[in-house]
Amino acid sequence: MTDRRRINGPPGGTRPPVFASSIKPTTVAAERPQRQRQPNELRKIFLKTGLIPSASGSSYLEFEPSASLSAARASPQSVIPPSSSLKLACTVHGPKPLARSATFSPNLVLTTHVKYAPFAARQRKGHIRDASERDLGVHLETALRGAIVAERWPKSGLDITITVLEAEDDRWWADAPDSHDAAWGMMNVLAGCITAASAAIADARIDCLDLVAGGVAAVVADETAERGVSAPRLMLDTDPADHRSTLSACVVAYMPARDEITELWLKGDISKASVGIDDKNLTHEALIDGAVDAARGAHSVLAEAVRESAERFAGLSSGKST
Amino acid sequence: MASSAAVSTAPPALSLPPSQFARLQPHAYLLAHLSPPASSQQPSIRANGRAPSQFRVTSTNTGSLTHTNGSSVVRLGDTTAVCGIKAEILHTEDIASWSVSHSSSSSTPNKRRKLTNPTEKPGEDRQDGSDEVEDDDSYIEDFSLLVPNLSLSTGCAPGFIPGAPPSALAQSLSHRVLSLLHSSRLVRSEDLEIWYQRPNLGPEELERHNEDEQMDVDVEQDGSGSVGETREIKAFWVLYIDIMIISLAGNPFDAAWTAVLAALRDTKLPRAWWHADNETVICSDLVSEARRLSLRGLPVASSFRVFEADAASGWRAVIVPDAEEERKIAESDRKGIQRRWVLADPDGYEEGLAQERVCLVIDKDQRQNGKVVIVKMEKNGGFAVDRKELKELVAVSAQRWEEINKILGQC
Amino acid sequence: MGGPTASLHPLSRADGSASYRCPATGSNVLGSVNAPIELPGRRDALKPEDATIEVFVKPGTAPGGVGERHIEGILRDALSRIILGREKGYPRRGVVITLAIVGGDSIGRGASYLPILPALLHTSILALLSASVPLSMSISATILAVDSSGKIIREPSSADAAATASLHVLAFTSKGHLLLNESEGAFNFDTWERVYERALTICHGTSALGSDGDVAMTETVDSQPLEGLVRDTVEDRIHVEYAWKIDAA
Repeated sequence: MTDRRRINGPPGGTRPPVFASSIKPTTVAAERPQRQRQPNELRKIFLKTGLIPSASGSSYLEFEPSASLSAARASPQSVIPPSSSLKLACTVHGPKPLARSATFSPNLVLTTHVKYAPFAARQRKGHIRDASERDLGVHLETALRGAIVAERWPKSGLDITITVLEAEDDRWWADAPDSHDAAWGMMNVLAGCITAASAAIADARIDCLDLVAGGVAAVVADETAERGVSAPRLMLDTDPADHRSTLSACVVAYMPARDEITELWLKGDISKASVGIDDKNLTHEALIDGAVDAARGAHSVLAEAVRESAERFAGLSSGKST
Repeated sequence: MASSAAVSTAPPALSLPPSQFARLQPHAYLLAHLSPPASSQQPSIRANGRAPSQFRVTSTNTGSLTHTNGSSVVRLGDTTAVCGIKAEILHTEDIASWSVSHSSSSSTPNKRRKLTNPTEKPGEDRQDGSDEVEDDDSYIEDFSLLVPNLSLSTGCAPGFIPGAPPSALAQSLSHRVLSLLHSSRLVRSEDLEIWYQRPNLGPEELERHNEDEQMDVDVEQDGSGSVGETREIKAFWVLYIDIMIISLAGNPFDAAWTAVLAALRDTKLPRAWWHADNETVICSDLVSEARRLSLRGLPVASSFRVFEADAASGWRAVIVPDAEEERKIAESDRKGIQRRWVLADPDGYEEGLAQERVCLVIDKDQRQNGKVVIVKMEKNGGFAVDRKELKELVAVSAQRWEEINKILGQC
Repeated sequence: MGGPTASLHPLSRADGSASYRCPATGSNVLGSVNAPIELPGRRDALKPEDATIEVFVKPGTAPGGVGERHIEGILRDALSRIILGREKGYPRRGVVITLAIVGGDSIGRGASYLPILPALLHTSILALLSASVPLSMSISATILAVDSSGKIIREPSSADAAATASLHVLAFTSKGHLLLNESEGAFNFDTWERVYERALTICHGTSALGSDGDVAMTETVDSQPLEGLVRDTVEDRIHVEYAWKIDAA
């Protein structure tokens, strides 16, 4: 399949490199990264607005690299990274008039677009959006639509574009895909997208009900030295690479001021007895509450970033008037 | 004309803020900056506060993306380019045109290299030796080993619809990057080759290569001529070079090319060898065994635009002067009023106002006292830049080379 | 080696057309121009006081790719400078130039477009003349290669072009301005200046520079300056089309 609008690789196709350690896991790299944080401790989020001046609003979000990743950065031994940390850029263009051909809309028409850079994940991504990227776009739109005061801009459009420069892993790279497997990394990406988009929308001075923040919680099982797989536990802001298996995960888009959830996405099943959960507190409600707690954490970072954006804007406009 | 009317009404009497004036009469706004009234004693300066031949502040950062073999972020003023390089493996059996002729002749370039400097270590060999030997780089072009793609659909500027296929501009930029990679021969073919040494049944040979009788390109065989015959290329590294323009405020090519350059300098390829039992290529995951690419030189791109005082000069046929007359007018410019300005590293606002473009890619030959070598010289869309001007621009680009060399050296 | 040949108006349905063949570089291009025409559905993109110029390049054998978009951009920038898009009847209309590469070697992925560029420029200028699009000037272009010993080769074949150290395409207006320069490969400025002198002689003959006797003589001996080719082609056509008038006179 050749794309005539892009530069294509060799027609016979290429293969991703196969590493010796993935055949015989004996070398240094083959040690699973361990979560160094407390179960309710969140990763630090770097969030900055206004880095892209040509856009109406923009933001850049980065998760703090996990302990294993920063250790690997400091003294590199293996070319295989133990885990990765989310990095994404978000731009907002608008409100702008809708295209001539568009039908009348009394509200602001929201268009969301999430695209991974080809180098964002372990496997090279295609240039054309795949199903998961479209899915992320739809989830993001739902999350934001509930927060934006759309009636204020009739016949207008708002384009939100997110470029994911580095995504999270779905599992530890050396693990074989198993039955619990799902695109867990995508949930973290969505949480990041929601927080970043919220900051960018505020940076574009679009009226919102509240700053909507994304948060993730998951029920995970870890390997322990003593007795194989430990009992499942609830953790906030999980990095799927840190854990033996993720049983269930939940991402919410949450507005703290109104205590409202605009988007909820829950994957996995923890109700079944087959999973072997004896903890009665480990319910879906607990999972959602955990995600909301994570979102509250992200909200504080978000509020700070938006405050900076507002100060910059105030500084600009006062500079103009003088 | 409308523009002259606006100039006369624009003075402070009408309280039109500069930002509004810039939007309504962009041409007059920039012209007013570049040709201040002689009485004001102000220097000619661009609307963005730069001198005509001044580039924007450039910063680079490399190696911050985890899943790449090499990556870079380049900020050229408000234009930001992120480049990530992912290496994948192309087996020769997947190359339709990889024929018997290729595999039999494949040992020639390597042998030739050995003949020229048999005593040098492989590292030194890369540094300076192989430039004298004309390496056969046709593999890179023939088998598409470099795959650069530039994306503007990142919301980098209004007008680029996200998700739409690459615009003509993005396609053109991708092509320019690829064509410059080819014509500058920046990446060496030998860096991308994965060799296989057929096991030699001699006992000392087995001892020396205790890596399950595996060989790769890095292990130099110290002059044992008999084994040279059994070496063959089994695979190539293919570098997928993806450039995301995150923010576009003019001059995307310089930003993209600098990002490619920085990312290629950052790129490390793992040691790879052909595993005969598995019939596949296996890579070592040890960082200590991975090696950097040895690039040929450092071609630095500088772009310029020419801003003309008379916006419609191309329109009225009768007034276009002869090239000879033009030179005389240019002479008189030295004393009197300037009509044309060559603006280095134009921002988005200036690009919209200036049609004529110049792009120079130059390198300095380190072995010949930093002699300036032009790798690419493009000039299009106007009459202002001729021989004399190009010569001046080559000098400006040579200074820019020093700047970029310093910036890239720091990361 | 014969010089390039051209003919006007080979296509009857286009407003203007031209075909151009250069045996030295092996390029053969057929071009058509439609102007001024309405460009439907692009009202927002049209400039209010100028014509919109669109160039399409269709390769002969291979499917098109990113390289065509690049060369289209180069041609558009060069031609938009000499087309008088503000003349009556042109603003808010389109000038559409379609160039088909009929013969010659196909251009591979990421390969240089320079060998075909002069032919494309000549074809478009002839087609524009044939369509009576108002132009401020005419142009002529040539390609020169410099080999590793510093020798300049005029209009190299594609095999020669691949082997040389640098390739240069220069286009001059009929008034002697350097309108376009595309150079690639390693060279220094002195080499380029020699290339410039030679290209100017090829395009304009001796008249443009009197001092450079030697080179100029050889150019004029084996072929006419390229500028003359455009003129002759148009003159021939006028002779054919106005034969009734000339005969009557």
